[in-house]
Amino acid sequence: MAELKPILLVEDNPKDVELTLEALAKSQLANDVVIARDGVEALDYLEKCCAGKDRPELPAVVLLDLKLPKVDGIEVLERVKRDPRTRQMPVVMLTSSREESDLVRSYQLGVNAFVVKPMGFAEFFQVIQELGVFWAIINEPPPNSRKPQR
Amino acid sequence: MRERRSVEVSTMDAPDADLTACDREPIHIPGTIQPHGVLLAFDGPQPVLTRASANLGTILTGTDRIPFGRGLDEVLDGDRWRPMRDTLARLRRQSLDRPHHLGLVNLRNAEYQAIAHRTGETLVLELERMPPLAIPAEEIYGLVRDGAERLQAAKGIDALCAQAAVEFRRLTGFDRVLVYRFDESWHGKVVAEDRNERLPSYLDLRFPASDIPQQARELYRLNRIRLIPDATYDPVPILVDGEGRGPLDLSFAVLRSVSPVHLEYMRNMGTPASMSVSVVVEGRLWALISCHHAEPLRVPFAVRLACDFLGQMLATHLAAQIHASQAATRTRLQAVQARLLTEMAAADPFIEGLVQVPDDLLRLTGSQGAAVVEGGHCRLIGKTPGEAAVLAITARLATAEDEIFHTDHMAGTFPEAESWRAEAAGLLAIRISKLHASFVLWFRPEVIETVRWGGDPHKRVQGDSTARVHPRKSFETWKEIVHLRSAPWRDAEIEAAETLRNAIVGIVLRKAEELAMLTEELERSNKELEAFSYSVSHDLRAPFRHIVGYTELLKEHEATKLSDKGRRYIDVILDSARSAGLLVDSLLGFSRMGRAQLARIEVPMRSLVDDAIRTLEPDTVGRDIRWEFGPLPSVTCDPNMLRLAWQNLLSNAIKYTRNREPAMIEVGAFPQGQEHVFFVRDNGVGFDMAYAGKLFGVFQRLHRSEDFEGIGIGLANVRRIAERHGGRSWAEGAPDQGATFYFSLPASSVQG
Repeated sequence: MAELKPILLVEDNPKDVELTLEALAKSQLANDVVIARDGVEALDYLEKCCAGKDRPELPAVVLLDLKLPKVDGIEVLERVKRDPRTRQMPVVMLTSSREESDLVRSYQLGVNAFVVKPMGFAEFFQVIQELGVFWAIINEPPPNSRKPQR
Repeated sequence: MRERRSVEVSTMDAPDADLTACDREPIHIPGTIQPHGVLLAFDGPQPVLTRASANLGTILTGTDRIPFGRGLDEVLDGDRWRPMRDTLARLRRQSLDRPHHLGLVNLRNAEYQAIAHRTGETLVLELERMPPLAIPAEEIYGLVRDGAERLQAAKGIDALCAQAAVEFRRLTGFDRVLVYRFDESWHGKVVAEDRNERLPSYLDLRFPASDIPQQARELYRLNRIRLIPDATYDPVPILVDGEGRGPLDLSFAVLRSVSPVHLEYMRNMGTPASMSVSVVVEGRLWALISCHHAEPLRVPFAVRLACDFLGQMLATHLAAQIHASQAATRTRLQAVQARLLTEMAAADPFIEGLVQVPDDLLRLTGSQGAAVVEGGHCRLIGKTPGEAAVLAITARLATAEDEIFHTDHMAGTFPEAESWRAEAAGLLAIRISKLHASFVLWFRPEVIETVRWGGDPHKRVQGDSTARVHPRKSFETWKEIVHLRSAPWRDAEIEAAETLRNAIVGIVLRKAEELAMLTEELERSNKELEAFSYSVSHDLRAPFRHIVGYTELLKEHEATKLSDKGRRYIDVILDSARSAGLLVDSLLGFSRMGRAQLARIEVPMRSLVDDAIRTLEPDTVGRDIRWEFGPLPSVTCDPNMLRLAWQNLLSNAIKYTRNREPAMIEVGAFPQGQEHVFFVRDNGVGFDMAYAGKLFGVFQRLHRSEDFEGIGIGLANVRRIAERHGGRSWAEGAPDQGATFYFSLPASSVQG
């Protein structure tokens, strides 16, 4: 059984990090969660995944906040989707509000999902769970073999 | 002597049955002269005789032979010509554009004065038979000096003209001297006269413009003196040495023969002798000093020169008087204008300022009535036609390009003007704005005038069996009563109106500029506000989300450790944070509505209404709602936005009819002017019209949230959506009587 791929969470707000981890834990997703605090950290991490390997060991999915310090979410998305090594990796854009131009731009760049962070935790949990099903379909093995790291 | 000769003949085409044919007569090249003298024309560097009047031989040489081809010195041979030859030799080195007096010469026991001038390359010498001077030369000088002094003393244009008539008669001895003034359309009027009993008075008589045709006026303007000693003369042809020479231009020749029509005119008038002195004011033929005599009369060159001098002096004085009077009028009108502008600057809308000082507005153009028309509204001052008539006038003016329009005969342009003759026979109008059809108009009432013509001007053409044109025979006063005319608009008055127009247009432009700046600023601050509200909403959303998130976690993990009170507090926190979050989301949606690009397509409005009702189905479960739909057109719009507008309006209708059994909700549309209006009517709780203005504001609510839930952004969205599409929104209602909410779209965006 292959090692379960980690989830990359790119989020600068520690409260959002904590709430997301809570939701992932509650969804019983077994993947490790790697946290990047800005766009540069995220890109560095992804570079390490690819460097010197025949087959890059990429995360199962990237949960990418739109507004980030240094390099913002849109630019991270653009770089990921332009790089042939990372192009196939699913990216879910998380954002605080529904801003038309960001939405359109994200879809143009090939984002796999675009999620406006819901107001309540219950709804957020639901979203994360739905995303879990999504991963379960495209990533094996099934996502309940291991608890996420806290 | 050469054999070949030709005679210059002016061939007049058979004229039309109108004396305007006279306009085409080439009167400056008649090919003949009057018989009281001789004309010789010399050409070439060593001037030789090329043309001569047929009477040359009988007067000058005593034979019929004309010495063509001979030099000037040869033709004027002998001692008696010496002084003239010398003078001519001297003058030829100078300008000879105007006739010069060379001196007197005795030919066959008669005195002749020699006069020379140049036309083109040709030197023209005229020998004009002279009577002995009736008054000695020294006295002429005295008369001119005294006359000049008396002219100088005359005050006003009328007095100047009257004095001029007296001075000219004193100087020339004619029986009657008229000052014949031209009006704008070149009709003449005798404005001053001095005479003895031998000729009748023509004072105040008018003469039609065709009496002095255009090319005659031009000749009068160029050559200020024209003399006919005896209108019964037989013209003498000018003979030409050989062919190939053009006709001789006699514009400045003193012996020039005049049109046979004119001679007949003079004979009909009973005045065989006449002299005209032109009064040219600033390049325009202003008047003629027209001198008549009951018998043939010759006027010596010296006297004619004196007349010309006096005539020029008169012109100078007239110009000064006209200027002075115009300047005085202008100064007076400028003061009036200044008051009008001051009023306008203080008034809003500024054009109202004109109405605030009605007397000044009328005084500006010397009118009895005025109207200020703007955007289909009309303010009347003084004596004017009715409002409908004024609007009809401006509607007609609006189709023309003119910025200023004036007439003293409105009925000529507006046939219906006959019925308002008592208020408005004359009109002066200025256009303020082309776009908004705004005008200022002034009116003058009809002035019924009795005009006395010198003969019937309508019968000035009298044909005879020879089909030649003859001037009228009778100069008996012919009275005409002129109707439907106002006093004419003077130049200064028209100028004043024009200046006012420029000033108003200046104000309009300044206001438009201010408005444009204001709009620009408003747009900028609106954009800033949008950006601000977006970023505030956006940034507020995260903390609310965190409050809700953590509180839910707290409730989930720790609820058992809390008291009932503690658990209730948690619920309140959750509820408040959630509704704060909802507010933020609504505000973001509203903001997006203002910023988002409109994606317009054509769509049936009914389908959007149906979509909206489907979305609202959860709210209608268990309700008795009677829907009524009128026909709805297809519109070109952003369907997502319009769907949201209907959703907001219908959701309100559903919500506020909650207590009605049954609830009645009507949806309909109707065209109205340049718009198409859509509405939703319900029989719900209604509202007080006093608050109608607040309804469409953001977060404005007229009901307590305990009674009707909601955050008060729906109608603000409706308004914003309507406005984004170029439309409006409004509402009608009464407490407990239901309400109707309307929004409109431009008719241009509605199909069928």
